[in-house]
Amino acid sequence: MAQLFTPGADAIYRLALMTGVACLVGLPVLAAGIVRSNYVTGVGVAPAQPVPFSHKHHSGELGIDCRYCHTTVEKEATAGIPPTHTCMTCHSQIWTGSDMLKPVRDSYAQDKPLEWTRLNKLPQYVYYNHSVHVTKGIGCSTCHGDVTSMQMTYRANAFEMKFCLDCHRAPEKYVRTPDQVWNMTWKPPADQATLGPKLVAQNHIRGGARLTECGICHR
Amino acid sequence: MAGSVTGGPLIRPDETLQGIGGTVTAIPLTHPGNRRWWIAFAGAAALLGLFLLTLGYLLAAGPGIWGNNNAVVWALDIASYDWWIGVASGSLLVSAVLLLLGAEWRGAVNRVAETLALIATASAGLYPIIHLGRPWFFFWNLPYPNTYDLWPQFRSPLLWDAIDIVAFLVICVSLWFIGLLPDLATLRDRAQVEAMRQADAKAPTRKIALLRAQVYGIVASGWRGSAAHWQIWVQAYRTVALLGVLLVVSVQTGASVMLAGSLMPGWHSTLLPVSFLVNAIYSGVGVTAVIVMLIRLVYGLDALVTPRHLDVLGRLLLCLGCASAYCYAAEYFDTFLNGDAQARGVLARRMTGDHALVSWTAILCLVLPAQILWSARARTAPLALAAVGLLVAIGAYADHVMVLVVTLTQDFLPSSRLPYGVDIWGIATFAGSVGLFLTLLLLFLRYLPAVSIVESRRLALTEAPAVQDAARAAAARTAAGPEENPTEAPLWGVAASFASQGDLAAALKAVSGIGPDHVHLDGHGPVPMPRTLRPLGLEGRSILPYALAGALLGGAGFYGMCVYATAYDYVFLIGGRPRLSWPSFVVPSISFAMMAGCVAIHLALLVLNRLPRLNHPAFNIPGFLRASDDRFFLTAEARDDRFDAARIERRLAGLPAEAGRPLEIRRIPR
Repeated sequence: MAQLFTPGADAIYRLALMTGVACLVGLPVLAAGIVRSNYVTGVGVAPAQPVPFSHKHHSGELGIDCRYCHTTVEKEATAGIPPTHTCMTCHSQIWTGSDMLKPVRDSYAQDKPLEWTRLNKLPQYVYYNHSVHVTKGIGCSTCHGDVTSMQMTYRANAFEMKFCLDCHRAPEKYVRTPDQVWNMTWKPPADQATLGPKLVAQNHIRGGARLTECGICHR
Repeated sequence: MAGSVTGGPLIRPDETLQGIGGTVTAIPLTHPGNRRWWIAFAGAAALLGLFLLTLGYLLAAGPGIWGNNNAVVWALDIASYDWWIGVASGSLLVSAVLLLLGAEWRGAVNRVAETLALIATASAGLYPIIHLGRPWFFFWNLPYPNTYDLWPQFRSPLLWDAIDIVAFLVICVSLWFIGLLPDLATLRDRAQVEAMRQADAKAPTRKIALLRAQVYGIVASGWRGSAAHWQIWVQAYRTVALLGVLLVVSVQTGASVMLAGSLMPGWHSTLLPVSFLVNAIYSGVGVTAVIVMLIRLVYGLDALVTPRHLDVLGRLLLCLGCASAYCYAAEYFDTFLNGDAQARGVLARRMTGDHALVSWTAILCLVLPAQILWSARARTAPLALAAVGLLVAIGAYADHVMVLVVTLTQDFLPSSRLPYGVDIWGIATFAGSVGLFLTLLLLFLRYLPAVSIVESRRLALTEAPAVQDAARAAAARTAAGPEENPTEAPLWGVAASFASQGDLAAALKAVSGIGPDHVHLDGHGPVPMPRTLRPLGLEGRSILPYALAGALLGGAGFYGMCVYATAYDYVFLIGGRPRLSWPSFVVPSISFAMMAGCVAIHLALLVLNRLPRLNHPAFNIPGFLRASDDRFFLTAEARDDRFDAARIERRLAGLPAEAGRPLEIRRIPR
């Protein structure tokens, strides 16, 4: 006589309630997933560049040292993006007629730098210094991945704070001997467990409490 | 406590169950004083608009618009937050303590107090978010798996506060909703009666009337006043109230230790958390008194909110006024006797400095007005009570401003002593949050019962039994015998209606022996029915294990998380505190435990009662809408083919007229 709702209303109502609860749990999980996805972080995505420069060819196959182009990596905060002149040291002699290299020659002729699309960015409130990392035994590939295998260069790691802290909390897991710093295919050797702490002591790296202080990076 | 209260009856002696339901539900269903409501709502909405405007400007320009780009970083924003959460704590505590003490007269006050607690928490909760430089990152305060690999700092009262607010909001919503649930069912049934009347009359508004009934029906979650429902409901209500009382202490500890735990003169005192708590409850009771008086005046609820209720509120205000005066006296006495030069300096600056007006407002409004309530005449005068409540609320706000601003304007560095003046945007933000509060309050008044129907009915049953007996006798005269209506539809069971809980209990006792394995008995009525529990075999059913398990698991889980994060996963030297700073994890763990217990209670309430259940065969019983009004129903549900409807009908009809003979017996199709 006095049913306000049809029998089917219960099923709909309960379904709605369960959907609500599922959304309450699911939406944050989805949001967290999106934030961490390569779509947002850009990991593995090679953007178009003014010249299709291949690290694989130059550094991997031809064996040009990182420091030939990134000249300040051992001395300054930034590793340095090479000026067009660095390219022209070779390309004034070889592949001088290549269409692919026309933007390089134009840049040189017009004295206007090439505008590369930047891959690895840190926020302004993060202080980062290449030289201290490289000279204390942190290799290029730890952050930049195996650049020598990249045809077009892409970001190998999302530089989230988690990534930095992982090493700052336990540098002994990542520190290398000086000759290995430029090795792009470096894997921790079998004796890293004994070698790591030794190198940390030798290089005066104060891990743990000191390296995780806020002011180390946020100056 | 209830018995000791003097000053006339708690409820008019001629109030019936039906009359109470009618008086209270008339407000949301017929909107008396519609014009006045719209005028008030326009004012509140205008203030809410001001709030949105201020928030827009705040987002564009940053928190500096409050004039706090100086040492007074906590200006009116945090004073407003402290005040709102104080009002919320006070209101919640009043309602919860009255419930726990079993004060049967609480119905007139508790609904308003619970609603105030809820909407004041909503107003309070916005401040900690909007006072952040980048409010859209407010969730950084909460522990969640983030890409920074960091944990919040569990040793800080700032974090306690974030957990406290979330827990407080959950408890407020929960207490409010549980209390409201049976009243929503009453409202649903009355709205449905109206909807059916309009449908019969083919009124043009019949679709809206039906929709209104259905909306109330969805929110009421299919509550049908079953004896089993009521049993769990009473326990759930009381248990959430207990959790609420504990949480109030925890919340005010978080808010006050944020100040007291610092080394600032005027804050660094063991008395501060106590005076915070006292003034919070004081302001909560004050605002509750103002709003209760307002609703009583506007909607003419003199019958339900009697002078005796006013008297109780007056006494409560007087007690808290004296406690507040004691706190001030103790602070001055202790500081001038023992305090250092800085602390004495702060007290002197409060009285004579740039913000002396604020300080004197605080002290005069908190201490003096309540003293007129020593007079019984003042206590029962609504206007006097409302005036005192308002002054107390103003005084409590001024007290928060005084405590924050006077200390901060002059810290230990002479160079940071920049002048601070209360500025227009700070006031606009507070006025806007008042607008939010008033808007929500007015919406509540328009659409929900402002006085607890259930509690008022329970009070009527105990305080005015004569009129209930008369109603019962009148019903008995109209009683019909068992009706022979053999129906073709499959049988759900047999239903019988009664005019009182006593009759229902007697009838249940009489039929409880019939086939306990294939007959499922239940009682339905408008108030909790403890006397039916024994014949129904429900005695001893308790919600407490669920609440306890939820609270213990939640609390232990949160505490474990704090320990894991701080001592192992995120070792961080801060202020020289040890890795395992166990005392600082207690406050947020308690808050979280209360929230987890509350969630567990809610789940138990729904699952044990098999709710929500919008469509139920019991609603097929003719006249069942009165189960939320003044009738009590017995249902005997068939569980298998052995069910013998005729035998149950014979047994019920054979009962003596004074001890359980039903008014009506019906067979109910599925």
